[in-house]
Amino acid sequence: MDFFSQLTPMILLLVFAGTLIGIIFGSIPGMTATMAVAVCLPLTYSLGINGALALLLGLYVGGIAGGMVPAVLLNLPGTPSSICTTFDGHPMAKKGEGEKALKVGIVASLFGGLFSAAILFFLAPVLADFAIKFSYVEKFLIIFLALTVIGSLAKNMLMGIFSGILGVWLSLIGVYPVTVGGNGETRLMFDFMEYYMYSGFSLLPVLIGIFGLSVILLDAEKGLKGDGDGQAIKLTKGSGFSFRDIKGQLVNMIRSSSIGTFVGILPGVGGSTCSILAYTQEKNFSKDSSRMGKGAPQGIIASESSNNALTGGALVPLLSLGIPGDSTTAIMIGAFTLQGIQVGPLFINSNIDTWYMIVTMLVVANLIMFAAMFFAIKYIAKVIEVPKHLLYPIIVMMCVAGAYAINYGIMFDVWVLLIFGVLGYIASKVGIEVVPLIIGFILGRSAEVYFVKSLESFGNFTIFFTKSPIAVVLWVLIIISVAFPIYMRMRSRRGGDAVQSN
Amino acid sequence: MKSMPVSFRLSLCALAIAGVSTSTLAAEECPIPGNVRVVIGSTSTGGDTYQNSSIVVDRLAEKLDINMKVDAVGAMPAFRALERSSNGSTLMIFHDMAYLGHLYGINGYDNIFEKYKVGPTVAINPGNAYLVPKNSPYQTVDEIIDAAGNGEEISVAIQPGGVSEIGFSALKNAVKIEYPGMEDNIVAVNTGSQADKNQLLFNGYADVINGSVQANEQYTRLPEDDQKAMRFVWLTARNETIKQANEEGLGETTREELLQYVTPNVSVTMDGEKDFTFDKEFFFLYNKDMSPEIVSCIDNALGEIYAQGEIQEQQKSLFFIPNFLPSSEAAAHLKDKMARYETVIENIQ
Repeated sequence: MDFFSQLTPMILLLVFAGTLIGIIFGSIPGMTATMAVAVCLPLTYSLGINGALALLLGLYVGGIAGGMVPAVLLNLPGTPSSICTTFDGHPMAKKGEGEKALKVGIVASLFGGLFSAAILFFLAPVLADFAIKFSYVEKFLIIFLALTVIGSLAKNMLMGIFSGILGVWLSLIGVYPVTVGGNGETRLMFDFMEYYMYSGFSLLPVLIGIFGLSVILLDAEKGLKGDGDGQAIKLTKGSGFSFRDIKGQLVNMIRSSSIGTFVGILPGVGGSTCSILAYTQEKNFSKDSSRMGKGAPQGIIASESSNNALTGGALVPLLSLGIPGDSTTAIMIGAFTLQGIQVGPLFINSNIDTWYMIVTMLVVANLIMFAAMFFAIKYIAKVIEVPKHLLYPIIVMMCVAGAYAINYGIMFDVWVLLIFGVLGYIASKVGIEVVPLIIGFILGRSAEVYFVKSLESFGNFTIFFTKSPIAVVLWVLIIISVAFPIYMRMRSRRGGDAVQSN
Repeated sequence: MKSMPVSFRLSLCALAIAGVSTSTLAAEECPIPGNVRVVIGSTSTGGDTYQNSSIVVDRLAEKLDINMKVDAVGAMPAFRALERSSNGSTLMIFHDMAYLGHLYGINGYDNIFEKYKVGPTVAINPGNAYLVPKNSPYQTVDEIIDAAGNGEEISVAIQPGGVSEIGFSALKNAVKIEYPGMEDNIVAVNTGSQADKNQLLFNGYADVINGSVQANEQYTRLPEDDQKAMRFVWLTARNETIKQANEEGLGETTREELLQYVTPNVSVTMDGEKDFTFDKEFFFLYNKDMSPEIVSCIDNALGEIYAQGEIQEQQKSLFFIPNFLPSSEAAAHLKDKMARYETVIENIQ
């Protein structure tokens, strides 16, 4: 087979280099896997298709996995898809279990990555055929299902829903682009704002503003003499990692990896959606979810296994239909077109060696990611011990650089970072819940497009309920997802009343 | 340090002076900055705009011995970046959507001939296509026009406001000419990416979709019982344009096969006499105040690149048709093109 002769040391070196650079990109707040792939794409032209894919797949896997590092240690999602890792990762880091949290995340990432690579290898064409059954209606319902996580995550249900709606509203500011079939008109702004806000607020500056800058402002208010929390975080304080920490989590890992892979297969649904969905489903279906959000490894496992599983999933439509599954594979398709290679429904059969190479490189990238991160993490985790008066200025600098770079040098994005940093600060003072707000923001735009396009295509609301058996299944999941937190709250309230009456 | 012989020192001085004077001369002839950002009107790095821009920009950077980088920022950010910079450090490459967006009244699309300087054209993508499901009852565009003329509603999935819509407008215009009053039976389904358009065809919610030879050719090779199988019914490119493509065509569809889908084999009338054609052309756009020296410098550099002939081979191998026209000719050519399509758009309003 020609395939083995193509698997040269140079190819392996490129996967290795790509994975390491990807981890670094993902670890820097404001730098994403997508950005890493975009920056390196022009370099791949001279590498040939195998070399190009080796580098880009390494960057992709490393970039997604690297996002967990700042999410756990700094409460800053390194990439949008690691947002749910902050919910449990950072509380663990604050307890001195940062290294343990990261190792749990790395194991989950490896599982997710290998799971999706296996799915890609064995089921790509079949799944691509299944994915095309998802029209606008089903895609809207998936986004709606992800939005129901707000009910589970809100501390106060009413305020949580309000915050979520506020997030959706903020996401809709700007143009309804013709590139998604819109009318090209701007909305929710005054005319004089159009020059700056034509494209609305970019996700990443909003994310790092709300998660990063607002926390720095809150700590600055408390003063940095000693530590913001009143006590320094020590890595040695908490318990270390043991593989027992992931014992009993196989179902969670398989479920979350399946969600990640499947969301990846659906073009346009997006990477952040998969970790939010996986987190919601773990919260709803696990035997004990009471500690989720307070530092439970199961939350990290759900988030990280799903977002790494996205990598293989997003390659399914790319290689089986010629359609990228997410924003990173949308850039990666450039490697094929620059080399003059057509990707489409016949790609796998007509490029069988390249296909084997892609799957092999995806597996190798995951193994390199695991080896590099698992053994280096105890040193990386020491970031948490750096005094905040040294750490915060560096974080601000990285956030500003990342915000400026995300759209190839738009200064307004730096202002967005600042605006949302202040908004996050004010939100915490007036009781607006930041997590539902950001989830609303992430999902709002897709929800709008799929909702409007469903109505345009079918002309009535009943289609959301009657479109297909898939839609019915999604409605059942939505109802469970909405009812479950209400039931849990009522039960805990009744329990509280009983304790009081006793 | 040992002193250098006088003759050697003189030679060095002469070389240095010659070097300085040569570079000064070069800078005067071509006062383009050493670092140039080329923004493109698409955010995709997998699309034809990025692909074509990369080819041209790499060659231009080599020729001018400067750093040039293609940034896929999208149309609005690209126009704005261009407005901000008049010293030649930001250039733009886009295609016919630059003026079609204006004709369709898309917010933010100004008249490029008034607001910017139009630079040279560099290539044509001849692949703009319209497709139907392989098992569609419509075998040809004629049948589609007849069906619409006889009262059947034909839904066409397009991305509004540009290259994707112009063929739709032409179809509607043809129905209006052949079956006056029946043109509203050609209905646009506005959507976004190629994936969305394909999806509408797979699910049976569009009768016809806009696509491209590059993106859809493999789908046309699928067996008829495959839900994803499609068929070309029309390529909007001129017959002469397709004839310039490599004989092997693209994928397994040869040039001869592609010629079946262009005029005169497929006829979509523009005015009752001539057939409508549309070549998707890529060209440079400059800031209105960019110096004429830089304009002619880029014209000259591209002229030399195209005279060497290598770029044409590279473009053709990737299914582009080389089409270099220096700035002044390009502006006149594109203005003429815009005027032609304006009549089509106005006729169906």
